[in-house]
Amino acid sequence: MNLRQKLLLMLSLNVALVVAAVSWTVLVRIRHVFEQRDQQETALFVSQFQREFQHRSADVAAAVDRMAASEHVRSMAFEVAQSGDASQYVTEAQMLAQESQLDFLEIVGPDGNVVSSAQWPARFGYPEPSVNESSITFLKREDLPDGSSALGLFAARAVRKGDLNAAANVWLVGGKRLDQSFLGDLPLAPGMMIGLYSDAGSATAATALNAFDPKLLVAAAGEVNGAARYQPLIDSARISGQQTSGIIYLTSRREDSVNATAIPLKSDAGTVLAVLTVAISRSGMIEAQQQVRGIAYGVAAGGILLAILVSLWIAARVSRPIEQLARAAEEVAQGNWETSVPERKRKRGSDEVDVLARGFNHMTAQLSSQRERLVQSERVAAWRELARRLAHELKNPLFPLQLTVENLVRSRALSADEFDEVFRESTATLSMEIANLKTIIGRFSDFSKMPKPQLERIDARDAIERVHLLYEAAGDQSEAKIQFDVNLSAEAMPLDADPELLHRALSNLVLNAMDAMPEGGTLTLSAKSRGEQIEIRISDTGAGMTPEECERLFTPYYTTKQHGTGLGLAIVQSVIADHMGTIAVESRPGGGTVFVIELPKASEIIV
Amino acid sequence: MLRQLAMNSLPALGAKTNTRRVWATLWIIVALLALPAGARTRPHYGGILRFEIEGDPWQRPNGLARRLMLDGLTRIDANGVVEPALALNWKSENEAHHWEFQLRPGVHFQDGSSVTSVTVVNSINVACSANCPWTAVHAVGSSIVFTGDSPMPNLPALLSDDEYLIAADAGGNIGTGPFQLKGFNNAVLTLTANESCWAGRPFVDAIEIHARRSIRDQWLDMSVGRADLVEVPVEQLRQAREQHLTVLQSPLSTLLALRVSSSGALANPDLRWAIALAVDRGALFNVIFQKQGEVTASLLPSALTGYAFLFPTERDLNKSREKHGGLTPPPLTLSAEEGGAMQLAAQRIVLNLHDAGFNVQVVAENGAHPADLALRRIPLASNQPAAALEAMLRGAEVNAPVLAQDPARIYTVERDFLDTHTLIPLLYLPRAYAIGGRVRDLRLGADGTPQAADAALEDAP
Repeated sequence: MNLRQKLLLMLSLNVALVVAAVSWTVLVRIRHVFEQRDQQETALFVSQFQREFQHRSADVAAAVDRMAASEHVRSMAFEVAQSGDASQYVTEAQMLAQESQLDFLEIVGPDGNVVSSAQWPARFGYPEPSVNESSITFLKREDLPDGSSALGLFAARAVRKGDLNAAANVWLVGGKRLDQSFLGDLPLAPGMMIGLYSDAGSATAATALNAFDPKLLVAAAGEVNGAARYQPLIDSARISGQQTSGIIYLTSRREDSVNATAIPLKSDAGTVLAVLTVAISRSGMIEAQQQVRGIAYGVAAGGILLAILVSLWIAARVSRPIEQLARAAEEVAQGNWETSVPERKRKRGSDEVDVLARGFNHMTAQLSSQRERLVQSERVAAWRELARRLAHELKNPLFPLQLTVENLVRSRALSADEFDEVFRESTATLSMEIANLKTIIGRFSDFSKMPKPQLERIDARDAIERVHLLYEAAGDQSEAKIQFDVNLSAEAMPLDADPELLHRALSNLVLNAMDAMPEGGTLTLSAKSRGEQIEIRISDTGAGMTPEECERLFTPYYTTKQHGTGLGLAIVQSVIADHMGTIAVESRPGGGTVFVIELPKASEIIV
Repeated sequence: MLRQLAMNSLPALGAKTNTRRVWATLWIIVALLALPAGARTRPHYGGILRFEIEGDPWQRPNGLARRLMLDGLTRIDANGVVEPALALNWKSENEAHHWEFQLRPGVHFQDGSSVTSVTVVNSINVACSANCPWTAVHAVGSSIVFTGDSPMPNLPALLSDDEYLIAADAGGNIGTGPFQLKGFNNAVLTLTANESCWAGRPFVDAIEIHARRSIRDQWLDMSVGRADLVEVPVEQLRQAREQHLTVLQSPLSTLLALRVSSSGALANPDLRWAIALAVDRGALFNVIFQKQGEVTASLLPSALTGYAFLFPTERDLNKSREKHGGLTPPPLTLSAEEGGAMQLAAQRIVLNLHDAGFNVQVVAENGAHPADLALRRIPLASNQPAAALEAMLRGAEVNAPVLAQDPARIYTVERDFLDTHTLIPLLYLPRAYAIGGRVRDLRLGADGTPQAADAALEDAP
């Protein structure tokens, strides 16, 4: 990833994070505000419900009170108490209930058994425990003949004929249903939905918690939409007996979720008889949140777009010069020291990038000039070395020449026979030294004008075998035993080369290797194909060289030997170069030396 | 008695003069007592009787209109004795395998056609085409011959049943009874007097039967003189008397019984027994039917057999639960006839069974899917125990003639049947009507139906 991309990413992330943080804060705040509002509305509704509940309770109590105070009922109570025969009143409760507009009414005798029941006429003679209720009004679930049960608001009153302190003759237990019609009378805030869940209608209403039945959750208008979703909330209220709140998702859409509260309605004994649910739609909050989210996405998109523009601008001002510098540095590293970067001419001072560009250009200029000076100095050094070597080489044979001539001059004074003998010895020495001089000069001449190679199709294996055979015997006969080790690939290794020049170069390397092992060792010759190249390796197990020596090894007239012209490896390098190959050295002190020659393989074998 | 009273009073009174005074006083008293009787005149012809009923005048059994329009070969008199009707006499042969009923001559249907043995046989075949007490019925001259593979000792009593009334048409609208159909409009069935009735023209000219009237409306009409005869449900008898209605009450003529299916969920006889033990007859009798009638666990009333006490009537919930045991039948259904008391009784029985561990629900009558239990009113067909028992068994789809005539053997037959617990007798109830002030000589038959043919109106012209 380049600087421009990093800048773009960083700026975009910054914008996105800031926008996300702000929008998250706003969303949380919105939710908090709406939830507070919902809680307030729910609390308000609950208080209204309680008022309506009390109002209904008072109605029921008043109706039962009126009934109990009526002369007809009091006479009936007296008759029942006197005669003990309540059978004639078995249908009385239905009539009284109709007159008083009560949904439930039971007349209970002094023995606590039902005399007449409006809602279940056949239940006469069965005990009615409600007469023992201490509350003025109470919630009760009333069983019905069809096996169902209904929730009602009840009041129980004693009917006494005569002395108010006398024992009750009969009891009246009357009530009204608590059902959808009750819900319809409750005032609702906009977006509020209420429902009533009771076990009324289930065949086993008398048992403990029954399985949730969505059909038992009713609203004023009928069934509650998504009733099954209320199950966890309602079950929690039924089990705990406490008001429970939570969010309910009526459908898969968030807009259809509601803040719901389940309020258990209990009997005097604390048994949960029904659960009132109050649900307030969250669609308003969701819409507000969606709007905020939309704005946040828009701002983030705009921010990212801005970030792109800014990054492009920054790239133009900052990253491009840096990229140019980076490319120039790569070129310098590859050896192109002439590289330079454009410098901006600015009127108002210069920034770090400008300083960097100028510094870079200055550096490359310094490097170039230093390299030229180095090359020149090396050239001068090489010439000095050449002159020194030449002087040294020539001086050696010239000194005996001088002595011989002086000897001849002195021997003029000798007898003819002695002079003839001295003359013969001197002329022999002169001839030998002159030949030596010619050899030295010839070598220098050879190096100065290396012949062009006469290319022939040869096999590299043959060239190595030739060198091997030539020097192996010498290695065996020398005092320091040098073992030759030849590893040649079985496949043909064709070369287009001058066999003599190649032999000369290989011979030079073998001789150097043998010279590097005065105590003996192993000299390894190997050759193998490597793609389009043929690699020839000549290694020894001598003392090795330092890196500095390796660097100067191929410099003409550089030698580590006491005797030698220092031209051998230079000639080898020249021969290899003429054959379009390369030569390299791998060595370390005490680790031997390996010369690696790579020559291009011939394209086809000429048989 | 008066004379004896007078004689006993003589010593206290003393002298001869006092004796004359006493006799004179006594005769004056007798004359005063006889005065109202003497003031009663003979019944007049004419007028329209207005009946109001809650149900259907054609309903079976013993629909009011059927008995007024149709006759059977025999009939039951007020004392429950079989007497001739369209049949003049009858005789049996071959140990009651063969019966011959001699038709009454000169009888015509209300459409003028003659009553012949052929028409009678046709009518009987329409009324009973399968599972009849007889194997075959033929017209032989002016006689109707019944033959059976089994003895039919109770055939004359059986033929008085509502089921075998003779009609000229398949719809049963043309008979030989004292009244004939005039029309049926707006739930008012109008019957006019059959001028040529073989038993004599009835006193009233017509009867209007207002059907589908609630008891409350009937009594209201009665109170304002718009009805001459209204129904008095058994459970409201006391109330009717408290309202000073003139009530006609029949003897115990209707058995309230619980019919229990012997298949399906109740195929196990122990379950049926448990049901029989669980029902609280006392609550039904004391509260629902206001102590009218008689608690019973036998098919025939005590007055007829004398052995009804041998069938225990008390509820035994513990034994019922024991018989119920660990068996868990599926929910059962109970149907009941229409009527407040019947529905209330059905609900009460449901409660009783619930106490015994049964889950029962009251359902509406459905001929296609009969309920497991059915609360029924079964009329007492005859005052002859064997005939009555045979009729009840036939009603319970037990087609076996009751050959025994002595109580012990009849008891055995009844015991054996009741031990199957497919019919659980609960109460014997009377039938009752209230009559208006202008109605005279209206009596109820042994089966509780009003004998309107003998009734007359006081203010008839």
